[in-house]
Amino acid sequence: MAKIIVVTSGKGGVGKTTSAAAIATGLALRGNKTVVIDFDVGLRNLDLIMGCERRVVYDLVNVIQGEAGLSQALIRDKRVDNLHILPASQTRDKEALTQEGVEKVLDTLSKDFDYILCDSPAGIEGGAQLAMYFADEAIVVTNPEISSVRDSDRILGLLASKTRRAERGEDPINEHLLITRYNPLRVDTGDMLNLEDIREILAINLIGLIPESEAVLRASNQGVPVTHDAVSDAGQAYADTVSRLIGEEVPLRFHEYQKKSLLSRMFGGGRR
Amino acid sequence: MSLKLDSESTAFTFKGGMLPMTVMELASADPELIRDHLAGKLSQSPAFFEHTPVVLSVEKLDEPYLALERICAVCRAHKLLPVAVRGGADPVKQSAWALGLGWFPPQEAGRGRSLESVATGEDYLPPDEPAEPTLPPDVASGGRIFRGTVRSGQQLIAPSGDLVVIGAVNAGAEVLAAGSVHVYGALRGRALAGIHGDAEAGIFCRELHAELLSVAGDYKRLEDIDRRLLGTPVQVRLDGDQLGITSLA
Repeated sequence: MAKIIVVTSGKGGVGKTTSAAAIATGLALRGNKTVVIDFDVGLRNLDLIMGCERRVVYDLVNVIQGEAGLSQALIRDKRVDNLHILPASQTRDKEALTQEGVEKVLDTLSKDFDYILCDSPAGIEGGAQLAMYFADEAIVVTNPEISSVRDSDRILGLLASKTRRAERGEDPINEHLLITRYNPLRVDTGDMLNLEDIREILAINLIGLIPESEAVLRASNQGVPVTHDAVSDAGQAYADTVSRLIGEEVPLRFHEYQKKSLLSRMFGGGRR
Repeated sequence: MSLKLDSESTAFTFKGGMLPMTVMELASADPELIRDHLAGKLSQSPAFFEHTPVVLSVEKLDEPYLALERICAVCRAHKLLPVAVRGGADPVKQSAWALGLGWFPPQEAGRGRSLESVATGEDYLPPDEPAEPTLPPDVASGGRIFRGTVRSGQQLIAPSGDLVVIGAVNAGAEVLAAGSVHVYGALRGRALAGIHGDAEAGIFCRELHAELLSVAGDYKRLEDIDRRLLGTPVQVRLDGDQLGITSLA
């Protein structure tokens, strides 16, 4: 049985899709059979971030409506063997998804995969609720900013009430906090919320902290998940996040501002 | 779940619900006396009398016949909307139905909290409750304890008695109680105590950042709160007709 993980946030633009792609890649690089599903029907982005937009023929909506088989819609990642992508439809809207249809797709994928990542759309409506409904674990992506924290808080309330585990009275969803776009310098100057404030308000386990990094934008535009950029700070931070997700203990990095030494400024300090 | 993906739309659904409801406990059946006291109350807290639905409780009255129609008229004249009658003999029940009001059987003895006495000018005496030394009275009369974080968009209500939150109430969340609200953590959302008009209720928290504080209809917004009290443990209570916030540190 696969572990179903939803990547969600409430607020848009905080890095859900980037994080889903990076974590799925990290899980697959460690030998786990992983599939990442784009639930953002109508605004599909995951295929771009994963760099497979030119290979999309069928999508999740086609599978749910019986127009294509699951194996026809799954796209095998070019870089990592164990990784598959199930893209969303760009021409339909979120009403095209049904709870029964999604359940069937997840049940089938569960037999073949170790991890299923559901990349949720923004918002708290049907599409986002469907992405989280069958989840075993949730990664709540939050920026160090007050509106993002409040929206994450709202999503955590929904995870505790509007999911299958909640409705059946089973063990609650395992909730993890992933802080993205963290800039220690701007935290020190008071422009951004600091890590401890966010942890105190949301009161859930911190699974990772991704520093604000040029590597993320570069990765998105190249269609290569940032996990592959192993020398970048963001790539390493996502690798740490994956380690914690599979149960390893890794110390927290990139949360304190470090002055660049003269040497690093002279030799290749530009790549961050 | 609330997703309506395939379901046909229906004209209505019946749902059970617990709504906060003000009970107006009559200690006199004289419409003139009630009118006088309502006029006094209205000038004290006009915000409370905004077409507020009320249940007229006549359990304390021994009269088999009531001038129910006149009492209702007096209430409506003061922007209270009687929706039902509780207690009373069979003729009271019949006249309630005739007036289009609901009728509830009398409440079990020992339940219910003291509300402000609207109808009489005399000091209100709480009904004799059987001594229950093992349980705090608020819990026995329907108080509620919540362990965890009350999150944005969530509403937690204790329709009778006190509400105790062992955790934080986050911004965008709302906690309400007929009695007092106790928050053993940071209070960042809205807290409303004494929602049925209990002016003796209070709000207590370990760390004040509340968006809104209200006791028996009197409220203060975050902007109205003395900044020096923010982030500190406080109690909030009605002091005359002013909402007072004092430090507990």
